[in-house]
Amino acid sequence: MTKSSSKQASGRSVLLPGDKLAADQKAGSGTFRRDGEAHAAVLGFSSESSGYTNVQPISGRYSPRVGDKVVAVCVETGPSLWRMDIGAFQNSMLHHSETDWKVDFGDTASFIGIGDAALAEVYMVDGSGSHQVTLKKDDCRKLYAGTIVHVAPTRVSRVIGKQGSMITLIREKTGCRIQAGQNGLIWIDGEPDQIARAQQAVETISREVTSSGLTEKIEKLLE
Amino acid sequence: MAGGNSDIEFIKKGKRLDGRKPDELREVRIEAGVLNRADGSCYLEWGNNKVYAGVFGPIECHPRHKQQQDRAIVQARYTMAPFSVNDRKRPGYDRRSSEISYILSQALERVVMVEQFPRAAIRVDMQVIEAHAGTRCAALTAASVALADAGIPMTDIIPSCAAGKVSDTVVLDLNKEEDNYGQADLPLAIVPSTGEVVLLQLDGHLTPEEFEQALDMAYKGCMDLYEIQRAALANRYGGGA
Repeated sequence: MTKSSSKQASGRSVLLPGDKLAADQKAGSGTFRRDGEAHAAVLGFSSESSGYTNVQPISGRYSPRVGDKVVAVCVETGPSLWRMDIGAFQNSMLHHSETDWKVDFGDTASFIGIGDAALAEVYMVDGSGSHQVTLKKDDCRKLYAGTIVHVAPTRVSRVIGKQGSMITLIREKTGCRIQAGQNGLIWIDGEPDQIARAQQAVETISREVTSSGLTEKIEKLLE
Repeated sequence: MAGGNSDIEFIKKGKRLDGRKPDELREVRIEAGVLNRADGSCYLEWGNNKVYAGVFGPIECHPRHKQQQDRAIVQARYTMAPFSVNDRKRPGYDRRSSEISYILSQALERVVMVEQFPRAAIRVDMQVIEAHAGTRCAALTAASVALADAGIPMTDIIPSCAAGKVSDTVVLDLNKEEDNYGQADLPLAIVPSTGEVVLLQLDGHLTPEEFEQALDMAYKGCMDLYEIQRAALANRYGGGA
C-alpha cells in the first residue's frame, strides 16, 4: 500500500498522521519515529529548518511557548495563585509573585476574579506540559472592559499581519485598543460600534485566512 | 442479533439482498470538518448509516479523579439518536452505548499520542443519526477522522469494518437484515501502518477457518476504508489524494 502525501495546488503537500517523511530527514516537531523512520504525527504542512523536518499543524489547540503573549481568563482562584485558561490542554498558573500587586494570602480573588481576563506572558513551560504565566512583562496587565473574540490559534499570525500591518490597520480604522494573544483570544476595547466593526474584521480574517488580497478586503470593510 | 438460524436466503446467484458481492463494502462517504463549534469533526454516511463525530480537546480532564498524571485519557462517547432506529430508542446512555464507548476509547488511545498531554482529556463524541448495522465501526471510522481534523497528534488513522456470516457464507460489512438474522458478526479495527488490531469482537458462531476468512476480509475492508478516510482529510485542505 502506498502512502504518498497529497499534493496541493500550490505544490505544498498536506501530510496526514502516520505519513512517512523522507528517509534523509531528521524528525522535528509534529513528528514521531518508529522503527528508525520519521512519520508525521499531525495533519499539517511540512517545513524544514536547520536540518529538521517539522510538521506544522493546520488545526488544533494552542500549545504554549515561552515568551508568547496570551489573553488569559481566570477560571479558579487559590490562596496565592490564579488558574488561568489560555486555551491549552492544561490551565496555566499565575502566581501572586508574578504580579505587581501586594496580594495578601487568601486575597487573590479581590485582584482577579473568576472570568476576569489579563494580558499575560508565558514564562515557563516544563517537560510535562505544565506552564505558568506572568504579568511582570511589557504590556502585561489585567484587562478591564472590552470584548474578547476567539479565533483559531493557527490564524493569529494572519490577524496580526506582517510586522503587525493588519492589526495596525484595524486599530487605525476603528480607534480600538486591540491585543492579539498567541492563543487565539483577541481583546478589543473602544467605542461599542467600533468594537463591533473590529470584531467583524477579525472574524473575516479568521474565516478567509487563505484568500489573497485580504488586506484590501479588510480596508474596504472598514471604510 | 447474529448467531441465530434463519431460513432467509441471504445470497442468491452470488449476490446479497442489497445487490452486493460477498466481499463488497456498502457505499461510504466521509466529510471532515463539518461542525463549527468542535475542534475537529466528521460526518460519515455508510450505506444507510449516518454518523457525526466531534472532538474537543485536549482539555483539562474533569472530574479530576479521572486524570492520569502521565498521559491524557480519551473519553469517547457513543450515542444513538432516538430517531436512529425503527422503534424509538429511549434517549441517553444505556448498557450498550457505555460498552461501545469504552471499547472505542480503548481503540483510540492506541493511536492518539496521549503521553504528550499529561492530565488532559480528549473528548470524542459520536452521534448516530441513522443506524443500519455496523454503527460502532462507522462511529470509530468517523471518530478517527475527526481526531486528525482536530490537529491531535496520532500515529495513524483507524479504519473499522465488520465481516460476518450469512447463509453459511462469509461476507463483508453486514447490513441491517444480515446483522439481525445472520449467523455471525465480527467487527474489526486496525492500525493500518502496523497491522495492529485495536478492536475485535465476535457475535455468533464461526469455525476457525471461517474466522480466518472473515478476519482477512474485514482487514481488506479496513484498508479500503482507510483510503477513503485519507481522501476526506486531504480534500478538506484542498489537496486531492
